[in-house]
Amino acid sequence: MIPLIIRKEVLETILSLRFTLSLLLIVATFAVGGFAFVSKYEQQVQDYSVDSNRSLAALRDRTSRLYRLALHKQDIYRAPKSLTLCVEGFEKSMPNYYRLNAFSKELPQIKGRTNALMFGFFDVDWVFIVSLFLSFGAMVFAHDSLCGEKEAGTLALLLAGSVPRHKILLGKYIAIMLTLGIPLLLGILVNLLIVTRSNSVAIHTGEWLKILVIVLTSFLYLSIFALLSMFVSSRAKRSVISMVVLLFIWVGLVIVIPSSGRTMAQGFQKVPTQVELQRQVGDATSRLSEDCIAGKYGEKAGTATPDGNECDPEGRARFRNDATQLANRMIDEHINRMIAQVAAGRHFTGISPAEIYRRACESIAGTGIQRFSQLCRQTVRYQDDFRDYICTRDNEDPASLHLPCEDSYAAGMWKAMSHQPVDFDTVPRFQERDLALGQSLKLAIWDIGLLGLFNLAFFTAAWISFMRYDVR
Amino acid sequence: MIWKIAKKEFLLNLMTFKFVIGTTVCIVLMAVFMPGLVSDYGERLQNYNGNVAMNEAEFQKVKVYNNLTPTVYRTPTVLSVFSKGIVDRLENSERIDLDEVSGTETGVGETNTLLSVFPTLDVTLIFKIVISVLALLMAYDVVSGEREQGTLRLILSNTTSRHQVLLGKLLAGWMTLAVPVTVAFIIALLILLTSNAVSLSGADWLRIALMYVVSLVFVGSMFNLGLLVSAVSRGSAIALVFALFLWLCMATILPNAGAHIAAQLRPIESPEQFAARLKAITDQRDREIADLPRDIQEGEGTSRSDGTGAFGNGLIVFANKPFMDYLTRLYPITEPHKMQCIDKLLHVKAEYLGGLVRQKHLADTLAGVTPIILCERLMSTLAGTDFGNFGSFKGRVRTYRHEVADYIRDKTANFTSPIYFTPSKEGDQERFFETYFKPYDQTQDKAEKAKLYEIAMQKYQQAATDAPTLALQDFPAFTYRSQSLMSTLQQAIPAAGLLIVEGILFFALSFVAFLRYDVR
Repeated sequence: MIPLIIRKEVLETILSLRFTLSLLLIVATFAVGGFAFVSKYEQQVQDYSVDSNRSLAALRDRTSRLYRLALHKQDIYRAPKSLTLCVEGFEKSMPNYYRLNAFSKELPQIKGRTNALMFGFFDVDWVFIVSLFLSFGAMVFAHDSLCGEKEAGTLALLLAGSVPRHKILLGKYIAIMLTLGIPLLLGILVNLLIVTRSNSVAIHTGEWLKILVIVLTSFLYLSIFALLSMFVSSRAKRSVISMVVLLFIWVGLVIVIPSSGRTMAQGFQKVPTQVELQRQVGDATSRLSEDCIAGKYGEKAGTATPDGNECDPEGRARFRNDATQLANRMIDEHINRMIAQVAAGRHFTGISPAEIYRRACESIAGTGIQRFSQLCRQTVRYQDDFRDYICTRDNEDPASLHLPCEDSYAAGMWKAMSHQPVDFDTVPRFQERDLALGQSLKLAIWDIGLLGLFNLAFFTAAWISFMRYDVR
Repeated sequence: MIWKIAKKEFLLNLMTFKFVIGTTVCIVLMAVFMPGLVSDYGERLQNYNGNVAMNEAEFQKVKVYNNLTPTVYRTPTVLSVFSKGIVDRLENSERIDLDEVSGTETGVGETNTLLSVFPTLDVTLIFKIVISVLALLMAYDVVSGEREQGTLRLILSNTTSRHQVLLGKLLAGWMTLAVPVTVAFIIALLILLTSNAVSLSGADWLRIALMYVVSLVFVGSMFNLGLLVSAVSRGSAIALVFALFLWLCMATILPNAGAHIAAQLRPIESPEQFAARLKAITDQRDREIADLPRDIQEGEGTSRSDGTGAFGNGLIVFANKPFMDYLTRLYPITEPHKMQCIDKLLHVKAEYLGGLVRQKHLADTLAGVTPIILCERLMSTLAGTDFGNFGSFKGRVRTYRHEVADYIRDKTANFTSPIYFTPSKEGDQERFFETYFKPYDQTQDKAEKAKLYEIAMQKYQQAATDAPTLALQDFPAFTYRSQSLMSTLQQAIPAAGLLIVEGILFFALSFVAFLRYDVR
């Protein structure tokens, strides 16, 4: 019986105006999103290759002497990622430029062709289309699935037959999901065709798998709205009332709650401004210098004359390393607080399935805030590796004092670090590591679970409500 | 007759479920989010006051005129709770300095750029989303619903003419929608007024009143749009679906697609190019200054003491006669030159910023045909949070730079007076050396020498801190008035006109459609 209901329901919806409207709208938006992505991505790739080549050339220049290499501030840029096609994750408003040498680093910055005035706009990516349009479509398709039949008087007729209520409910649910699947899959297909036809975007096997998971998650998300609509539909007497209620729930869940995140985040967690951070770092390091002058690192740690024997290179190196570590720690703490602030806001907005869905997709695709925190962690690890490399190479040089620290005077005048040239090919270079599908899924599993829970809750609610529905 | 229909319809509307739920949602949202928005403003204000106080405190420490590099801050706009606009994302301070132009990045106004993952929330959002949906919901069944019920035929079978019916319904719809708008504004104002941080000036009240009017016009236009949809469709269900899809396009697709197209059509200058242009100017300046005839070795006879100066600058504590003479000859040439260079730098920066703004404007214009975007633009113009107000701040800073430069020029006899760079008088350094460094030089005993050195350094520090501070009572204060209401209105007129025209157009079309409507 269920297949029959499904077939009839699907046919009826497909022939309706609302289906045609949503199909056109959604496929057109997916197409626009595809074209926009390709042109944006090409620009990004071009800018990135210019930037990273310049950065590598500068690094190569410094290989003539080890200490110059160690002290050289490297520019690390975020590479463009093809999966931003699915979810851009507001990467345009996130720091994409990291600057570090073997010892110290700077706060990541936003660099490149970004217009801060345009931060408020969304990129037309899959998540944007699914979370706004398709969820809206789910509501429009399902709002009268039960009460509409009652208004038409067909529900009483239907139940007078031998079909049990749960079969009707299930049949209708599956039919709605199938009709939603048509614009979704067709849209994604068009989008992918546009993107893959242009030769500039390459999608690897691992990424195809991730795309598949994102599509499945999208169905999970849409199913929430379908079930919610069926629940409201089974509570309402008239389909117009059901539509009004759903519309306001939709506005609340998809637009208002996500927008409130900023206010909530700022209320729960404070982050100092960049100027304040600079002031704090400056104060802390100048306190350390005072300690140094007062003799905490040895009497002569503060003196610097061309003859290293008159001074205390070891004390000076200890002081320098303490200072850079302190500054690094403060910067790391600041970044953690920035991320924690967003997380606080997202915990609150997590009552909206739209936000959970976005978060899950960002985790799977490895974009957005997730990627930012990953990148920060990876640059820390890279800095450690780079420093280890410098230390190892430095140990090979008997002429060096083996005191690696951020002090060009000590390194230049006293040979605190080696002056030997190094082979550029052996120098570790920063390479962003994408998370494997398993790891990404592990990050997203909590959110996917939440989406499942929403599904379960609304399904149960719709079930109970429909079982008790007065069909007269 | 029109009035009678309007009254009956109005009362009927008030009783509807959609009205009750829409108004409730509006009230709840206002009550929940307004306090957060107000406290956000309070925090901004506190930051601003802290910064200004810190800047003021530095004035007490100024000992030489070339240390006078105050930072001026832009006052946060109280009406930003109504419409956040774009000003938060633009820099909110500028350092008045002869050497460099500060803050070349946008986005510095934000404390945490990562927060951009959350869309902005302000009163305008509630209007443009919730109340516009309500307007469409009120309007979609005005004509088609009556037809379905069969009451339209009954009404029209009497003496009532079609235009009376439509006008009555229009009036009723507007009156109904005015209720949530008014209630929302009253709640917003109540929460605003009970906050300690907020004080509203007369102009602010006028602006709020205008925002109220704009909101009314906006919901009116949206209602007319709904009316049009209703008058062209046979069934109310179809009208509803059609109206909602229209709304979805206007509220979400068009603005974001507009932004994309704008980014393609009007790409901004790459930051590298911009930085290179700035650097070319400063390099040129530095070369020209380096080419000036140097009749003295740099560093000769100077004693620099960094950090003791005001605004984070260093100052020359002592200078001997040849060096002082040299600097008094040098500064009158270099400083005016630097000022010219600053003007060039500011011009380049303004061009860059202009590029960003033009892109944003194009995005707005592309999407700006819809009432929702027009309303958003108008609200931010009226709230003083669009680019206009920022521009007037920038303009004021530019004139202020010249005021400060003129002041310093005036006080230092065109940069020729030593007080421009050092508090010491002629012969001070020689005397100081005579008193403290000569004994040090002459002593052979190591312990004694170290002690004398210590004393000399202490005295030197002492001299740096003891140097008299300047009397700056007549220093030009930075006062800046946000854009006047008149110029705001001038900016708002095109968008307001377009909004009204759209409203009239929607009504005219629905009027025509209704006159030809088949009521069976």
